[in-house]
Amino acid sequence: MITATGITRTFKQRGGVLAGREVKALRGVDFSIAKGGAASFIGESGCGKTTLGRIIAGLESYDGGEIAIDGAPMTPLKPKQRQPHFRKIQMIHQDPYSALNPTRTIHQTLQAPLALRARQTGRSKQWMEERAAEVLSLVGLDPGSVLSRYPHQLSGGMRQRVVIARALTVDPEMLVADEAVSMIDVSLRLGILALLKDLRERLGVAVLFITHDVATARYIGDDGELFVIYRGQVVERGPVDSVIADPVHPYTQSLLSAIPVLHGLEEPGEQPVVPLESLDESRADSGCLFARRCPFRSERCESELPLLQVTDGVPQEHACFHPERRSVIARPLSGV
Amino acid sequence: MAQPETAPPQTAPAPVPAPVTPAPGVRIDGLTVVYKTTAGELPAVRDVSLTLEPGTITGIVGESGSGKSTLALSLLNAVQPPGRIATGSVEIDGLGDVVGLAGERLRKARGAHIGYVFQAAQNSLNPLKTVGKQLLDLGRSHGVDDLRGLVREAKELLGRMGLDGARVLDSHQHELSGGMRQRVGIMLALVLNAHLVVLDEPTTALDMITQANILKIVREVHAERGLTTLVITHDIGVVAEVADRLAVMYGGRLVEQGPTREVLGAPRHPYTRGLIQAIPRLVGDIDEARALPGRPPTLATVPKQGCVFRERCALRMDICETDDPAALADGPRIVACHAVGVKERA
Repeated sequence: MITATGITRTFKQRGGVLAGREVKALRGVDFSIAKGGAASFIGESGCGKTTLGRIIAGLESYDGGEIAIDGAPMTPLKPKQRQPHFRKIQMIHQDPYSALNPTRTIHQTLQAPLALRARQTGRSKQWMEERAAEVLSLVGLDPGSVLSRYPHQLSGGMRQRVVIARALTVDPEMLVADEAVSMIDVSLRLGILALLKDLRERLGVAVLFITHDVATARYIGDDGELFVIYRGQVVERGPVDSVIADPVHPYTQSLLSAIPVLHGLEEPGEQPVVPLESLDESRADSGCLFARRCPFRSERCESELPLLQVTDGVPQEHACFHPERRSVIARPLSGV
Repeated sequence: MAQPETAPPQTAPAPVPAPVTPAPGVRIDGLTVVYKTTAGELPAVRDVSLTLEPGTITGIVGESGSGKSTLALSLLNAVQPPGRIATGSVEIDGLGDVVGLAGERLRKARGAHIGYVFQAAQNSLNPLKTVGKQLLDLGRSHGVDDLRGLVREAKELLGRMGLDGARVLDSHQHELSGGMRQRVGIMLALVLNAHLVVLDEPTTALDMITQANILKIVREVHAERGLTTLVITHDIGVVAEVADRLAVMYGGRLVEQGPTREVLGAPRHPYTRGLIQAIPRLVGDIDEARALPGRPPTLATVPKQGCVFRERCALRMDICETDDPAALADGPRIVACHAVGVKERA
């Protein structure tokens, strides 16, 4: 069980004309994932979703809030003491081409973390070999043909599987997958998504999925929670299908409206929402972070910041003074 | 750097009204492009025939290594060594066969007749020069006398795409967002009044809202300026939004082409079907999405004879091992598959 409460992170610009300017990457994010669970974060680039993933994986520091891994809070611990806890959370990066060392065979790539794990658990060299073959089989690769190869001899999809296998060597409880399929060939993407889904079911590994593609988030965890993040604030959260079918925050609606419609198979939603401007981090905000771009803003939105809340008749939590359901996503054409 | 974000594409790509300036038609016939490797010359594009009707948007969909970018570069006769156009022709109205063009005539044709927005246009600007300086370089290298007029035209185009033209021309690339750079790329492709435009992966690395905005701009500018447009992408969603006609490439071959809606609604080639089925959807049963088995071929692993897709094909037959299926037309649809042919004759 991994719990994050009120995570904040502010970056300060150093040097240049923008020196001293602050960018609030995260403004107090809460979430928790149970064993084998799933949570997905969606949002535009620059919304803080990658920063969140890196913080959860222990690769980035946070300013405020708390991360608890299996009940153990991280803040009081020294960096060295945190390490065994963050071992349980492994990151799957976007680009499998740069995530693997090109001068090492897959065997060598897997041996380094396995040696560490063997030391920690008092296992033998024999175990390391067996485990290497086992994790490769788990991700759908044939150990016999893959172990002796170099990354350049594998396709993008196979490389991403190796990256996942490497993460599994240390027995993680959760994988943080940041745009894990966006650089994979289209016909192979679903295979990687199915693998992540399968690892949830077979190994009970939780998945924190960070993406701008809502449909892939749904594929990995339609039983999980979907978080819509905007400029460091979660503006809507709820069960995946509920948020997709009945979004109430205008930002969620903008994101869903922007998904291409497969004409011939689908028809566009009836009430698409289009933001008034594009994302601009440099402007100070007094009220709702989305107010300047929001077609439905009121005076209140410009002076007061709405917080994540539950209101009557709305199926999910939202941070909007004027939540309203709108039909924005494309629907399948009947008879296709 | 706020500018108005325009509506995401919601309406279907409508047939383009009669263009203001005659858009050129393009006829690619029997085009084969080979790359020299240690294993000899291998075809990246093999015997491809494709017609771009004047005033239409055609989308080419393919995975990495399918040959789609090589095909697009052939339109400019810009395939770089070790690659070369081995056989075939690319006839462009008003230019003739570009495969035969060389030297100064070829250089003039690029830019003036054919605008090309390169893959990752966001990163193809010179970081040391302002956009305006690069625009003037472009004008000078193409012998434009009226540079003021060129700047005026550039500002107008940028304004049309929702940007502040004067400000963008004074900016270096690092001062512009990805979506803004992409629009600068489109402006540079169009500013010399080209009427044939090739966009290679126009929305890769852009997020959803920006992508929707760029696609809408592509469609509007296409209609307003009377262009013939070719969009190269790996993303079926992108062509579904903008293209009138869709062509699917696999292993250097065009395996299926036809009107976008018809191909998406009723795909015929097993690869097209597999690709569409592999897209996770927003509603309905998620388990309906199915992965395509196997993986796409590379230049070295494309079968030398027979169908390029047979390794991954559920409908594979004996003939697929030996004979490369011909691209057969059935009305506006063209499919290269033995199994589809059999089914129709039966």
